[in-house]
Amino acid sequence: MSAIVDKAILAAGLGDLAHARRARDWDAVKRLGGALDHAPLLTLGALADRVRAEEIGDAVIIHVKRPDEALGVPDAGALASRGIDILKLVARARILGVHAAPVCVDWGATGLELAQVALGFGASELTGPLSNRRGLPIAEDAQVKVKGVGMVAVQSLKRRELETLLERAGRRAVFAREDQAAPGGEGEFQHA
Amino acid sequence: MLSAIEQKVRSGERLGFDDAIALFRYPDVLGVGQLANVVRERMHGDRTYFNRNLRIEATNVCEASCLFCSFAKLEEGAPGARTLTHEQAWEELRSRMDDPPAEIHMVNGLHPTLPFSYYEELLRGWKRIKPDIVLKCFTAVEIHFFARHFDMTYREVLERLRAAGLDSMPGGGAEIFHEDVRKRISHDKATGDDYLEVHRTAHSLGMHTNATMLYGHIETFEHRVDHLLRLRALQDETRGFEAFIPLAFHPDGNGMKNLPAPTAMDDLRTIAVSRLVLDNVPHIKAYWVSLTPKIAQIALRFGADDIDGTIVHETIYRAAGSRSPDGLSYGELVRLIREAGRVPVERDTFYNVVREHARELVPESALKVRDRNGQKHLAVVE
Repeated sequence: MSAIVDKAILAAGLGDLAHARRARDWDAVKRLGGALDHAPLLTLGALADRVRAEEIGDAVIIHVKRPDEALGVPDAGALASRGIDILKLVARARILGVHAAPVCVDWGATGLELAQVALGFGASELTGPLSNRRGLPIAEDAQVKVKGVGMVAVQSLKRRELETLLERAGRRAVFAREDQAAPGGEGEFQHA
Repeated sequence: MLSAIEQKVRSGERLGFDDAIALFRYPDVLGVGQLANVVRERMHGDRTYFNRNLRIEATNVCEASCLFCSFAKLEEGAPGARTLTHEQAWEELRSRMDDPPAEIHMVNGLHPTLPFSYYEELLRGWKRIKPDIVLKCFTAVEIHFFARHFDMTYREVLERLRAAGLDSMPGGGAEIFHEDVRKRISHDKATGDDYLEVHRTAHSLGMHTNATMLYGHIETFEHRVDHLLRLRALQDETRGFEAFIPLAFHPDGNGMKNLPAPTAMDDLRTIAVSRLVLDNVPHIKAYWVSLTPKIAQIALRFGADDIDGTIVHETIYRAAGSRSPDGLSYGELVRLIREAGRVPVERDTFYNVVREHARELVPESALKVRDRNGQKHLAVVE
């Protein structure tokens, strides 16, 4: 984390909140959470990204099959055009949530571009349809010819594309088994 | 490293090649964005510019064979080839006179048989319909093509088009200047030096123009920085560039379709580095068609101060797979900027203020985060 980010976090009045978070002092996190309301977007994101790095590391869990609603993924169409609001929500969830909370973004709802940016604002999990670039579903048994590789199942190709995408964002993709429950966090969740 | 660059930025010291490379490679993109935002707010505060413009492509017939292009058709009669008659082109404006654009932004293919008079008459016709319309037409690549094709100098081409009504030039056609890249992706059109010379000539005639960079394909960070520094050097000389527009490569339907598109983080970082390096270019534009409106909105916190315009209909990026809408209404642009916490300012082509909108913050209380699964997972919901 760069000095400019450190200074920005302090300047935004988030220093105490960051300290409380690191000390897992959830009462203090809850009490100090109001400081997030007026924090600049990138400062909010920088703090959330720091929390994510410290508590979870670089792994990004990808749910290939869209999990049920209980997993807490935004419904498709929600916040459809509000990129900044989505990032704020993700960052707040990371900063105010339980330790190592899985914060999941649905690229089917937000778009893949914004979902990727959300990974820099505290998100740790992704889900959404495997699709081509125009967002149309692809049959799971479809295959395409890849130069130097031969025929490749589209689903695995898209997995590879996702892996590449995450690598280019400095993160590591971990595909969840479809029957695998996502990991839970510890401590009490603090409402925003 | 960023601290040293930050010191330079805060003291107004110019960044060099190595600084720019370091910014592209620095892992903390939000830190780079914050630094760019410092410069952006120093130059423009919260003001964010947009305009009412109409995109027209009079012909997509093009004799160049750029690998990245999904728009061009090699010859008339080829599937999808299209050349507007004068009447069709003029009707595009005439049909919108109830809510008229302030600017026509036209980019075309390099058509091998259309006469020069076709283009002159296009301009004259639009000025007849709306005398105060600003015509921002023809990339430097087109001007270079006209000069070779019709045996004129750049100055002669520009003077004749100016006489017909040309006011400004868009920045398209810059791609990547460095020869190692350019000869591989667009070997049969204007070189980087040609592009810069056309703009130098236009600036010497008193024109103000824009510049672009097509990134995210086969180029390296070194090529990008070389591109930015060449633009900065010309701007030192002429002060003729109004805005710089980084254009993200889109891979659908073109000769580089096997390449991945640049990531959104790369988009944001490129905008931020552009703001920091191009210290003499007034405006950095987040072109929403290329980025999608949501990423363009976020880019307004990464150094961009302009989001382009209503556009109405655009075909070049759509042909390459852009998922952005065909156009945005005036009200949608205002809302997009306001929701980014910025102040919308309608401008003309030359950044004269047409209307400055009031600041209006979107209440945070409209959004909530809640737990939805026994405190195991966090819901991000409205």
